Amino acid sequence: MVKVGDMLVGYATDENVRSRGASGGLVTAVLAAALEKGLVENVVVMKHINEFEAVPIVTDNVEEVLASTGSLHSVPVNLAKYAMGRKVAMPAKPCDAQAVIEQGKRGMIDLDNTYVVGLNCGGSMHPVTTKKMLVEMYDIDPEDVVGEEIEKGKLIFKTKNGEEKAIAIDELEEAGFGRRESCRFCTLKIPVNADLACGNWGVIGDMAGNATFCQVMNEKGVKLLENAIEAGRIEVQPASEKAIAIRAKVNSVMEDLGSTLEKEIFPDIPDEERMQYYMEQMEDCIDCGACKEVCPVCACGEDSKCTMFHSLVDNYKMSMYHMVRLLHLSDSCIACGQCSDVCPSDIPITLLQSRFSIPSQRRRNYQPGINLDTPPFFEVILK
Amino acid sequence: MTEREWTPKIVAFCCNWCSYGGADTAGMGRFQQPASTRVIRVMCSGRIDPLHVFNAFLEGADAVLVTGCHIGDCHYVNGNEKTQVKYQFLEEMLQQLGLEPDRLHLNWISASEGERFANFINEVTAKVKELGPSPLKPAGVR
Ligand SMILES: Cc1cc2nc3c(=O)[nH]c(=O)nc-3n(C[C@H](O)[C@H](O)[C@H](O)COP(=O)(O)OP(=O)(O)OC[C@H]3O[C@@H](n4cnc5c(N)ncnc54)[C@H](O)[C@@H]3O)c2cc1C
Ligand code: SF4
Ligand code: SF4
Ligand code: SF4
Ligand code: FES
Repeated sequence: MVKVGDMLVGYATDENVRSRGASGGLVTAVLAAALEKGLVENVVVMKHINEFEAVPIVTDNVEEVLASTGSLHSVPVNLAKYAMGRKVAMPAKPCDAQAVIEQGKRGMIDLDNTYVVGLNCGGSMHPVTTKKMLVEMYDIDPEDVVGEEIEKGKLIFKTKNGEEKAIAIDELEEAGFGRRESCRFCTLKIPVNADLACGNWGVIGDMAGNATFCQVMNEKGVKLLENAIEAGRIEVQPASEKAIAIRAKVNSVMEDLGSTLEKEIFPDIPDEERMQYYMEQMEDCIDCGACKEVCPVCACGEDSKCTMFHSLVDNYKMSMYHMVRLLHLSDSCIACGQCSDVCPSDIPITLLQSRFSIPSQRRRNYQPGINLDTPPFFEVILK
Repeated sequence: MTEREWTPKIVAFCCNWCSYGGADTAGMGRFQQPASTRVIRVMCSGRIDPLHVFNAFLEGADAVLVTGCHIGDCHYVNGNEKTQVKYQFLEEMLQQLGLEPDRLHLNWISASEGERFANFINEVTAKVKELGPSPLKPAGVR
């Protein structure tokens, strides 16, 4: 019997899934079982193209789910929008899970029918940066990469001819590569906001590398696991005290690192210089609207205030589009980095938005995307 | 030709039932106030969207005033309480953007408070005069 709060270590019973899985294939097996047993109608997974490219798919084909094993550290998409209007199970980094909940609060995702299998996340990388890094730091042709792994603070790439090269992530980040900026100051590393929180932290001994640590967060998590056990797709056992302690330790180190980096990434800008700073940063905006399109917490459709009241012919000092977005996302922005990732003018839009949303959220003791007890803060204050 | 003395352009959003009346009373009572105020009448302060405030600044306002009935007196029960909440976010946002706090104000003024309205406009004008034109004012707008 699985209970809420359980800390387990498990793996896929299918050897093939287990060996191809990022740690033990448990996530894939749980998703496949949810589909097979009719817990959901569809599953969202990543369809691999290569190490740097993958597309999210919504599928009702178990084979496609089983083929989606492995963690893609260089494909930083957010999956929340794929759950809209569907009855799905999905893998989710903490920021995917946050976006699902924020959309749930706004009635865009039916949380009762959405099963979220959370993945711990130490950070993801932008594919373009990663390829450049391979050439400049690793002296590896991106085409030759067949595998990638993070171990003891080092990022390791494996090539076709069986060679491996490891470089410390700190060193990579100092050289301007490594994780995306949003991931460096992200402090939600274990998806406690998902139904299950899975990862490889705390998987030790002979299990290391071929089992998944899994914390059961709520009743939906219980359902997911029991369903997969019944289907014969996974085996689980209680995690040892030592495993639990190690996982907690690594998590707290990562959280502290995130908080330290936040101070570096957001130096104070004096009051009288801020307007100039924002204007200069947004100067090259070409009004493509991609940052809105990709935002996983934006619940507006096409007819939204930021776009409808913004006209390309207005020669304003600052765009109405950005002013509206800066205000509207101050409660819901989860600093997922999607907007910066897609900006064709390389505007660090996540960092600009975060200068508004982080203080605004902290002042109200509000963390977006954690649970339903905290509705959007406009609503809270009026009560 | 000598430059005319610059006076700040102030956009005042007033609700139909109270602060607009206040502006009217100020006029009828002949309280002195600068002529550079542009009053925009809305049915209730709750109708004032932050978007309207952004628009006023982007079109060249040096200060924007959000005004309505005193709390408890709103003709639509609690429109002004909603205004208060929206205003909090708006104020924080514009401060973070780097706009000087003196350029944005919230005030409750009843229809009979003509003098209060005039004093308010005079105070804001004096403060904004010291600040000079708004950094968001488009080129070519005085
Ligand atoms: C970017 C990233 C960073 C991670 N960092 C850590 C970490 O620091 N510490 C830790 O303990 N665990 C981390 N994980 C989780 C870990 O890599 C495994 O995913 C987890 O242990 C589950 O293993 P598994 O074998 O059960 O997963 P699998 O059965 O292999 O299933 C993996 C699932 O993840 C999905 N997926 C792959 N890439 C992405 C992506 N970019 N975004 C969303 N979903 C994706 C796949 O579609 C698949 O459903 C990270 C995962 C990702 C995606
Ligand atoms: S923002 Fe946080 S949760 Fe999202 S990819 Fe980056 S580190 Fe992971
Ligand atoms: S504004 Fe940008 S960083 Fe914030 S939630 Fe939207 S896409 Fe993510
Ligand atoms: S993605 Fe970049 S260029 Fe496009 S609208 Fe957003 S900030 Fe402007
Ligand atoms: S009617 Fe005056 S504030 Fe609502």
